[in-house]
Amino acid sequence: MVWDNLMLALGEVGNLTTVALMFTGVAVGLLAGAIPGFTIAMAVVLTLPFTFSMPPAQGLATMISVLVGGLSGGLMSGVLTGIPGTPSSVATTFDGFPLARKGEPGFALGLGVWSSFSGGIISAILLVLFAPQLAQIGLEFQPWDFFMLVIFALTVTASLAGANLIKGLIAGALGLLVRTVGEDEAVGVGRFDFGSDYLLSGFDFIAVLIGLFAFSQLLSDVRDPVKARQALTDRGTVKIRIEHRRAIRELLKRKFVVIRSALIGMFTGILPGAGGSIANILAYDQAKKASKEPETFGKGNPEGIIAPETSNNAVEGGALTPLMALGIPGDVTAAIMLGALLIHDIVPGPTFIAEEPVLAYSIFVAFFAANFIMLGLQSGMLRVFVLVTRIRMYMLAAVILGFATIGVFSLNNSADDLWTLFWFGLLGFAMRQFGFPLAPMILGVVLGNVAELNLSRALAIDTDITLFVTRPWAMFFSIIAVFSAVFPLFQSARERGARWTRFYAPAMLAAVALPLSMMDGNFRTGLAIASLCLAAYLTWRAVSAKPA
Amino acid sequence: MTLNRDTILAIFLLLACGGLMMASFEIREPDYGQLSPATWPRVIIGVLSFLGLLYLIQSLRQGPDAPNPDAPKGLREFISHWRNVGWVFVLFLAYLVSIPYVGMLLGGMAFVFLLLNALGGLRNVVLHAVIALVAMGGVWALFTYALGVLLPTGDWTGF
Repeated sequence: MVWDNLMLALGEVGNLTTVALMFTGVAVGLLAGAIPGFTIAMAVVLTLPFTFSMPPAQGLATMISVLVGGLSGGLMSGVLTGIPGTPSSVATTFDGFPLARKGEPGFALGLGVWSSFSGGIISAILLVLFAPQLAQIGLEFQPWDFFMLVIFALTVTASLAGANLIKGLIAGALGLLVRTVGEDEAVGVGRFDFGSDYLLSGFDFIAVLIGLFAFSQLLSDVRDPVKARQALTDRGTVKIRIEHRRAIRELLKRKFVVIRSALIGMFTGILPGAGGSIANILAYDQAKKASKEPETFGKGNPEGIIAPETSNNAVEGGALTPLMALGIPGDVTAAIMLGALLIHDIVPGPTFIAEEPVLAYSIFVAFFAANFIMLGLQSGMLRVFVLVTRIRMYMLAAVILGFATIGVFSLNNSADDLWTLFWFGLLGFAMRQFGFPLAPMILGVVLGNVAELNLSRALAIDTDITLFVTRPWAMFFSIIAVFSAVFPLFQSARERGARWTRFYAPAMLAAVALPLSMMDGNFRTGLAIASLCLAAYLTWRAVSAKPA
Repeated sequence: MTLNRDTILAIFLLLACGGLMMASFEIREPDYGQLSPATWPRVIIGVLSFLGLLYLIQSLRQGPDAPNPDAPKGLREFISHWRNVGWVFVLFLAYLVSIPYVGMLLGGMAFVFLLLNALGGLRNVVLHAVIALVAMGGVWALFTYALGVLLPTGDWTGF
């Protein structure tokens, strides 16, 4: 069965047109990733309109290629110029740039390229292994559980805003509210239309995403008249040969760093809202802590390149896992992929892999293939990546804004969507200026309908609202939503040395043991007991520890 | 008391929530369906109002805005600070309004050309014209001929 699906998927993705589109997608992603100020999400969301007329597998393969290319593109400018192309490659510059300045740019790039490839392939393998398993668990979910899962996803994303938790939560709620404008999907009643046909038809959520993310980012990029006219960078050389063999030998010597970093990236990707920008720093930090020579970090230590580059490419395998298994995106780019699936009338959920096996396997195959294409193109197009960072920002911004209008119009052949792009671009820009994170709003916009639909279904089955916190999975998600909401408070209190923070982890473990113990199966009962034991041990340690 | 910008925004948010809550009572209640179409928006507005209140309290506790050395001083600096954003805003608005009259191809080229000159200065007019023609013409052709999308034509131009 798996073999048959794989063969069919290879047929979908392996044709000449799709392969050519994937090469183009990876190249576009690499270029977008190489340009400081351009985000991967922006590249993916701008690619979306180009894929409408394609068959679903082809369109998704193209978008995955842009995504994989974007994840790796930041490496080039980071290593050669010291300016990370994307937030996902910030930590790469810590050691990549010093190593390049020591006269070993080819080795630094080799490490980065092969680490990116390793991270991508490891996460692709884990995606193939875990997504079907997670989908099996997802089949147990009822509407109450799905509703609480969405709330959990929004809370976690908002909590990643750190000190701006309230702003993050407001952004998430605003996203949900935006999705309520227009006709109610269940009964077709107009909401918040104020007599306007434009509002009655609702906002096309892809236009909203492009406005919020791309338009507002471009406005921010050109805000400063001086910086807008400057070349993005005039540093860096293009006369380099990537040292592949030496880099591969180095990676094999440090395989544990590779595996650990890939797992960090995968796990970070699964968490809603957490992406490569967090994973690369976490992996770098872990590599430094585990190293026998931490003092060499920041001075060109190879592990300082391997860890962040492996983890940031592993993120997307993680982010695609909950998307394919549960229909819940792990990050903004996965949210855009969800949008792409919805456009083709495919609603991902626990039955997605079983009901659309060829498409699901096409995603797996495309993810693998894109990593190989990335490896080839990154080596062959080095000169182009460096040159592209010398383009002036205002030129890119003006052209991309022009492209965006044509792309957005083609969503529904409607000029209304262009106004949506405009208004949400301004809203996104204003939110950025006031320090509101956009990721929770994006997730709110994408998941708003899922939340309402499941709320409606749940209440149609049973009007008892306590089921939203008493059913095992719903309780599980409620508990971790509460703990994730408290997380920023915990972080700041821990920095001050507050004693209660020692009990945060044991309290969470003890709390999640309750819903786990209510679930069927010996494994989950065992997990609940293990959770309780660990909670007891951590409590004992917290109580017996001397005050700081 | 000096209000900081977060306080002003929180008050605006609370007022908007009040307005939207009132508007939610205008939503028609059908006789069928378990969940009223107004329930979910009201839940969100309720949560948003609560968060707005927390935001207001938080902003009041943080006191007046700290002086920002990069903030524009006086009208001249203010205009200079926001000039590019203003250009994008005005030209994009003009582009949207002009599409029914001049079409997407010509309107798009004009928009990109004018924006390039507004943001980058008038020293590279020829280069800007080439970029606008090639980039917008290329994407317009891609969507029209390769992807089969019917992009808007202008009443005045016919294409």
